[in-house]
Amino acid sequence: MGPKASFRGVSFPPQKVSNPAIEDAPLPQRVVLPLGEDRDRVCQPVVEVGEQVKTGQLVGQSADFLLAPVHSSISGRVTDIRPWFDQKGGEVLSVIVESDGIDSWQEELRSDERFLERATVQILADLKASGVVEIGPPAMPLHAKFAQPERPKEFLFLVGIPRAKMVDTVIINGIDAEPGMATKKAILQKNSSEILAGIKIIQKLLGSARVVLAVGSNGSLNSPLTSELAGLGVRVFQGKDKYPLGLNPILIKCVTGREIPLPDGSEQDIGVAVVDAVTLVHLVEAVRDRKPQVEKVVSVSGAGMSAVKNFKVRLGTVISDLVEQLEVLKGEPVKVIAGGAMTGDALFSADIPVTKETDALVFQTAGEAKSFSPDACINCGMCVRHCPAKLLPNELSKYCEFSMFEEARDEYLLHCIECGICAYVCPEKRPMLHLMRYGKRELSLV
Amino acid sequence: MDRAISLGKPMLRVSVAPHILQKITTSNLMYNTLIALVPALLAGIYFFGFAALKLALICMVTAVACEAGMQGLTGRKLAIKNGSGLLLGLLFALICSPEIPWWTAVAGTAIAVILGREIYGGLGNNPFNPVLVGWAVARISWSDHMTTWIMPEPLFGLEPGGYIEYPPLEVIRVDGLEALVDLPWLDLFIGNVPGTIGTVSVAAVLIGGIYLLARRIITWHVPVSFLASAWLFGLIFWLIDPETYANPTIYILSGWMVLGAFFLATDKGTVPVTGPGMIIFGIGCGLITMIIRYWGGFVDGVAFAILLMNATTPLLDRVRPRVYGRVKEVA
Repeated sequence: MGPKASFRGVSFPPQKVSNPAIEDAPLPQRVVLPLGEDRDRVCQPVVEVGEQVKTGQLVGQSADFLLAPVHSSISGRVTDIRPWFDQKGGEVLSVIVESDGIDSWQEELRSDERFLERATVQILADLKASGVVEIGPPAMPLHAKFAQPERPKEFLFLVGIPRAKMVDTVIINGIDAEPGMATKKAILQKNSSEILAGIKIIQKLLGSARVVLAVGSNGSLNSPLTSELAGLGVRVFQGKDKYPLGLNPILIKCVTGREIPLPDGSEQDIGVAVVDAVTLVHLVEAVRDRKPQVEKVVSVSGAGMSAVKNFKVRLGTVISDLVEQLEVLKGEPVKVIAGGAMTGDALFSADIPVTKETDALVFQTAGEAKSFSPDACINCGMCVRHCPAKLLPNELSKYCEFSMFEEARDEYLLHCIECGICAYVCPEKRPMLHLMRYGKRELSLV
Repeated sequence: MDRAISLGKPMLRVSVAPHILQKITTSNLMYNTLIALVPALLAGIYFFGFAALKLALICMVTAVACEAGMQGLTGRKLAIKNGSGLLLGLLFALICSPEIPWWTAVAGTAIAVILGREIYGGLGNNPFNPVLVGWAVARISWSDHMTTWIMPEPLFGLEPGGYIEYPPLEVIRVDGLEALVDLPWLDLFIGNVPGTIGTVSVAAVLIGGIYLLARRIITWHVPVSFLASAWLFGLIFWLIDPETYANPTIYILSGWMVLGAFFLATDKGTVPVTGPGMIIFGIGCGLITMIIRYWGGFVDGVAFAILLMNATTPLLDRVRPRVYGRVKEVA
């Protein structure tokens, strides 16, 4: 199945991925488990300092529909419950667990092969209890994605959008969007049985929705998987290797022809749910094995590494501990990026834990790190030529630079999907994305 | 409160995404355009001797000197290394007759740099193509010097093309169509006719233009719509009255048409940046060029067509594709 729409973007040189596709990272000595996404919205801790916990034991939960429960990712002793920095620089209440080195599980995992016979409500409850988070953006607990309009929908209230639609299309995003990401391709090749099981669960949850599996042009599926997918009525969308196809707004447009209504809309408004291929595996583990999400597959690259390596990392592993244990970096990193090289966040400290939203870590040495320049725009039009949202980033960047935020909004600043292409292609190396975000933030404060 | 994270460790660099940048810089764009102009300059030297090279050097040195002077005076960062001054100087030389006196070249280039560009704040901020601003001032002020032509005398190989004594467009204007009957189109294409240094050889300019397209320095929109609209406009009049109006292909192959379409009308900053805007810009350039050539006061209309269309650029930037996710406002 080919694309329904073309889009502007850029092609990156192909990246090397090392074998084996996914390795297990060593068990960490300690983990830091943030109880929420920001200071004001956190789960209540249900363990106390000094308490012994086992792997998979619940350590925090909340009545908030949009907060996923938190489980310990190792077994050991809770040494502290206190604020810890997250990757955006805020402080979030976190549970700190020192490992006992045994990794004994809360209860033995019992794989229930008849998971599809369970009631839909039971499946959703299992999903909610396991704390699986769809990485997005925007990140949200996976069970919220499958909530239909008749369910609680405080998160669906939107300005100017009459009513959220029923989900009629589920897109499994199997495209590694950015340089530095290689997890989805590896999952598609290694975990094909989970992919199939996950699709069956989704079909059970959302009976009438069609499921589309989106893969990159070289994300080759093995032929038994392809035929089984056809048997399930799943369409395979084969995309070009062009950024930002892997980003949700553009992927939805290419697969369904629909656009997310901006500035305030979301994918629910057009009846689409995008599920990351890696999240799909966690979904299956949650429903089939009743296993809480305690791991995350993370791509590690940069700092002289010749290829991208995928590691299965325990949640809460502090990045500096991870670097010491893995011993894969060739040079001293001056930049640590959580996420891909195009949209990731540069961390101010490596003492920040891996979370459910971390899908890649990019390290850069002093030689690899790029810097922006404060020079004026020369109006060459390079950003306009490549902008997938069809904006005029040259004008927007100038408006934001000179504090003309209202004008920028009238020129559709809020339709920017923050893919970073304008800054990537700019010959003057202007900090384009920074200016866009600055303008958006200033407008949000009005 | 004791911090979760010790700040004693070596600090990491923090910056906003993206964390990788494309290698292309402004100087890449400028030097690539300079490379693309080398065939045209070589053709100029081949047909008009080293006077052409001397003029090019004078203009380039003047341009860079004026640029540096203005940047110093206005207290801006010295940016002469990015090659934009060299490009401006070379383009100015290429649209002049090889016979112009050195002071005309210096004055024209200086006006181009100072009044055409630097006074607005430098590269990309000028509303009009600076090369053409400089040329227009020189052309109107020193009309006789700017329209003194010499016969091409190829350095080797070809016989001098002696069919016409001044540029083909002037021949059409002054002597009528009959004078062009004997002129081989090949001479017109490779540049064996009188004219300005860089515009006589359509072949050499085309090589450069295709290089720019292949390197994606420019897009097809402006050159294609420029040339196509001029040709079609010429075709209509040629079909109506072949006695008065020449074959449109002659108009494409003579004068500044190809250099204008590939190099002057694609000048960064003075042309629209959206696809539809660029196409309308090109069509406007093509039509105004032909209108001036047919009925205007000047023999070749490319320069004034581009300058006029430059004025519409801010308006044409409003002509743009629908942005992602735009919905009708719900009242």
